[in-house]
Amino acid sequence: MNPKDYRSALAPVWCSGCGDFGVLKGLTQALSDLDVQPEKLGVVSGIGCSSRLVGYLNAYSFNSIHGRALPIATGLKLARPDLTVVVVGGDGDGFSIGLGHVPHAARRDVDITYAVMDNGIYGLTKGQASPTTEVEVKRDMGLAGVEERPINPVLLTLSAGCGFVARTHAGNLPHLRRMLREAIQYPGFAFVHILAACATYQIPGYAEKLYQRCEMLPDDYDPADYAAATAVAIGDGFRLGVLYRRPVEQKLATAVEKALGRAGIWPPADSATGADETAPGDRS
Amino acid sequence: MESGANAPPASRGAAEARPAKTSVVFALVGSGGDGVAVLGDLMLWMAAHQGLYGMMVQSYGPQIRGGESAAIVRIATDEVLYEGEEVDVLLCFRLSDLARFQGSVRLNETSTAILEASEEGTLPEWLGRAGGEPLRYPFATIQDGQVVPGDPKNMLALGLLCRGLGWAPGLAHAALEHRFGHRPQVLARDVAALDRAFATRDVPALPRLAGHGVPLAVESGNEAVARGAMDAGLRFFAGYPITPSSEVMETLIDELPGRGGRVVQAEDEIAALGMVVGSSFGGVPAMTATSGPGLSLMTEMMGLSSMAEVPSVIVDCQRAGPATGMPSRTEQSDLYHALYGGHGDFPRVVLGVFDVVHARDIMHKAFHVSETWQIPVLVLSDAYIAQRRQIRDPVVETRELPRRKRWTAGDGPVRFSIEHVTSPFRVPGTPGGQYMAAGLEHTPDGAPTADGDWHERMNRRRFQKLEAIAAATGGWYRTLGEGDAPRGVIAWGSQYGLLREWVREHQEYRVFLPEILLPFPLAALTEWRRGLESLTVVELSYQGQLHRMLSSLTDMNGVGSVARSGGLPLSLKELARRLEEARP
Repeated sequence: MNPKDYRSALAPVWCSGCGDFGVLKGLTQALSDLDVQPEKLGVVSGIGCSSRLVGYLNAYSFNSIHGRALPIATGLKLARPDLTVVVVGGDGDGFSIGLGHVPHAARRDVDITYAVMDNGIYGLTKGQASPTTEVEVKRDMGLAGVEERPINPVLLTLSAGCGFVARTHAGNLPHLRRMLREAIQYPGFAFVHILAACATYQIPGYAEKLYQRCEMLPDDYDPADYAAATAVAIGDGFRLGVLYRRPVEQKLATAVEKALGRAGIWPPADSATGADETAPGDRS
Repeated sequence: MESGANAPPASRGAAEARPAKTSVVFALVGSGGDGVAVLGDLMLWMAAHQGLYGMMVQSYGPQIRGGESAAIVRIATDEVLYEGEEVDVLLCFRLSDLARFQGSVRLNETSTAILEASEEGTLPEWLGRAGGEPLRYPFATIQDGQVVPGDPKNMLALGLLCRGLGWAPGLAHAALEHRFGHRPQVLARDVAALDRAFATRDVPALPRLAGHGVPLAVESGNEAVARGAMDAGLRFFAGYPITPSSEVMETLIDELPGRGGRVVQAEDEIAALGMVVGSSFGGVPAMTATSGPGLSLMTEMMGLSSMAEVPSVIVDCQRAGPATGMPSRTEQSDLYHALYGGHGDFPRVVLGVFDVVHARDIMHKAFHVSETWQIPVLVLSDAYIAQRRQIRDPVVETRELPRRKRWTAGDGPVRFSIEHVTSPFRVPGTPGGQYMAAGLEHTPDGAPTADGDWHERMNRRRFQKLEAIAAATGGWYRTLGEGDAPRGVIAWGSQYGLLREWVREHQEYRVFLPEILLPFPLAALTEWRRGLESLTVVELSYQGQLHRMLSSLTDMNGVGSVARSGGLPLSLKELARRLEEARP
C-alpha cells in the first residue's frame, strides 16, 4: 500500500508550518513500509493538536479523551492482539494529564507504539506552558511555572523499564519514518519522542533552534546498552536515533511469566487464549 | 473419656424445650487473625453440603485488615437473603471485641453464648439477656499468665459448634479437606484441634435443622457478579483493587483465562475503564468493577463510552461515602452518581442487584443492554451483597449470549445513522469499516463537528436508545406481598432480602423493587401503586436519593421516606420503627 492509502478524506486543521504535518507523513510512510492493512490498524489518541492526527488516517481510529489514550490502546491490543496498535499524542496529553499511565504502559510492555509529538507548549488552548516547555521559553514569554524544570521524556520512559526508546524530529522525514517503523516492529511497548515544533505559540525561530540542537547518535552506538542509553538521556543535547532497544533475551523468562502473570496481566503472554494469535511481547 | 468423637452430644435441660426452628443465627466475634470468617465459611460449606440454605455477612473494623472482626451466619431450611434479627448462638473469643458490634448483635432469652474461659467479664447490657449461663471454653492457650500460640481458636470453636448442632465430625473433616487440602500441615493441626473440642462434654444442644440432602453451592455476591458476567460473554476485565469489590477481579483472575479471556490489574480506575473501552472498541465484551471512589474517577470515561457508542459494563459495589467514607460498610448512596454523574448530556443505563442469586441474572441483563444498544451500563451492588456469602440452588445459564450487531460492507457508509436507534458496530479487522470513534461531537459518518444543529440531532439519536431500552425493560422489577395490600414500600438493591422477610410477617404491606433504575419502569410502578393507602420509600442514603429521583418522574406527594446513612443494614425491628415514624 502507498503512504497516501493510509490517509482519510479529512484535511488537517493544523497551522501552517506545524511539525505535526511531518509526523503524519512519516507515519503513513512507515505503515506503508510495513504494509500494515488499514483494517488491521488501530490508532488511539487523546486530546490536543497532535491528537487530531488519528482523524487523518484510514484506520480504526479513536480520538478519545485528554490523557487516556494509553489505557484505551492497552485494552484494544490485549483484546485484539492481531491488530497493529499505535498511540499518538502531545506532551501535555502524555506528560501532564496522562503521565500516570506512561510508566505503567512501559512496565506492562504490551505491544503498542507510543509516538509523542513534543512541541513544548499547549497549542490547542493557545499557548500555555507544558511539562516540557523550557525554562528560558517560559521566562521569555511570561508563562506560568518558570521555576519548574521540564520533564525529560526519554529518561522517564527508560527509568520505567521501557524496552524501546527512540528520538527523532519532524524536520528529518527519512529519520522519522525509520524510527516509527522500528518502533512498530519492536515486539513490546515502544516509545518515540518526536520533537515537532509549534509554529504559532512558540518563540520566533523555535523550530530552527530546536532542530539545530539535535545530533545523531554515533554509528558505533550500541542501543542494547541500558547504561549508555541513560547517559545519553541525561546529556545536554537532543541525540536522535534508537537510544535503547532491550535485547529479546533480557525479557522475563517464560517460566516466570507463567508462574506470576505478566505485569498484572492474566493469562501470561504465552498461554493460549482462543483468538490469541500473537500474544503481546512474544513476537520477535 | 466418656463420649467419643462420634457420640451424640450431651444436652442440657433447658435446650430440649425449644420449639422447632427453621433457621439459626450465629454471631462469631473475634480479633483479626482469629479466623471467624474462615469459621463461618466452613459452617456454610457444611450446611450447603447437607442441603441447608444460609448466608454469612462479615463485619470488620474500619482498617479492613486487623482489628475486630465479626461474622454473622444464618443457616436455614429455605433460601435466606437476610441474616436474621436476633442471634441464637454468640461465640466470642474476647469480650472487648464486642463493643464495636453494638447494634449489630442482639441476644434473646433462648440464645446461647460461648465465651473464652480465661476471661471473667460478663456480657454487656446492650446485648440483651441470654437464657442460661454462658459456656466458657479455654480457646486461648495460656502459659505463665501469657497468651501463647496454641490450637487455632476457630477450629476449637468449630468442634464445639458441631457438637452442639449434631453435625458429624466427618463432615467438618471434609470441609477442612476442601479448604486446606493443599496444605497438609495446616489440615492436620486443624483436624486435631477440631476433634479435641468436639470431645467436650456439656456442650449445650443447639437448634437442629434438617437439610434436603442435595448438596448446594456457596457463592459471594462478588463471585456471582464475576461468573454471571462470564456466562454473559465477558472476555476482558480491567480493574483496580478497592474494598468491597476486589473479589470480582480476583475471581476473574482465577476463572476468566480458562474461558479465553484476559484480566488486567490497572494502575487506577481511569485506566481500568479506559482499557474496558479499548477492548470493547475492538469488539470484545468488557467490564470493570469498583466502588464509589473508583466510580468517581471513571466518570469522564463513562461519558466517552456513551458518546463514542462503545459498550461498557461498570459494576459499582457501593460503600459508605463520600471520599474514603467507611470502606467496609454498605450504603446505597451512589445512585445519584450512577444516574446523573458526568458532564454534558449522555444516556446510560443503571441496574440494581438484589442478592447473590440475582447478581448472575442481572449481569446477563447488563451485557444484553450494553451490547445491544452500544451504551454504558452501570450495575449497582453494595457491600452488603458483595461481601456476603450465600448458599444457593445451582444455576445453569440457558439464555442466548448477548450479541453486538456487527457491521458488514452491505450496511453502507454511515457509522451513526440518525434514522436508527443503533447502527451496526464496526469491529476492527473488518475490511472497509475503518472509521474514527470520538469523544468529540461528530456527524453520522464520524467526522468531528462543532455545529450546534448536529449536536442536537446526535444527542437526540443517542437518547433515543433510552426509549428503546425502556420499552424492552418495562418488566424489569419485582414485587413482594399481595397485590391488594394497603401499605406500600418502594425500595431497591439489597433491601430486597429484608423486605422479603418483612412482607411474610406483615401481610398489610406490598413492595415494589426496580431491577432497572434508569430508565425506570414507571408504567409498572404507576399500575402497582393503585389502591394504596400509604407509601414509603426505603433506602440507605442520607439524602433519600431514590425518593428524590422518583419525585422528578412521578407524583410523590405524601409518600414517606425511610432514608438513613449506611453503615449497618436495616433490621426488621428498625424498619418497623422507621416505617411507623414515616407514616404521614
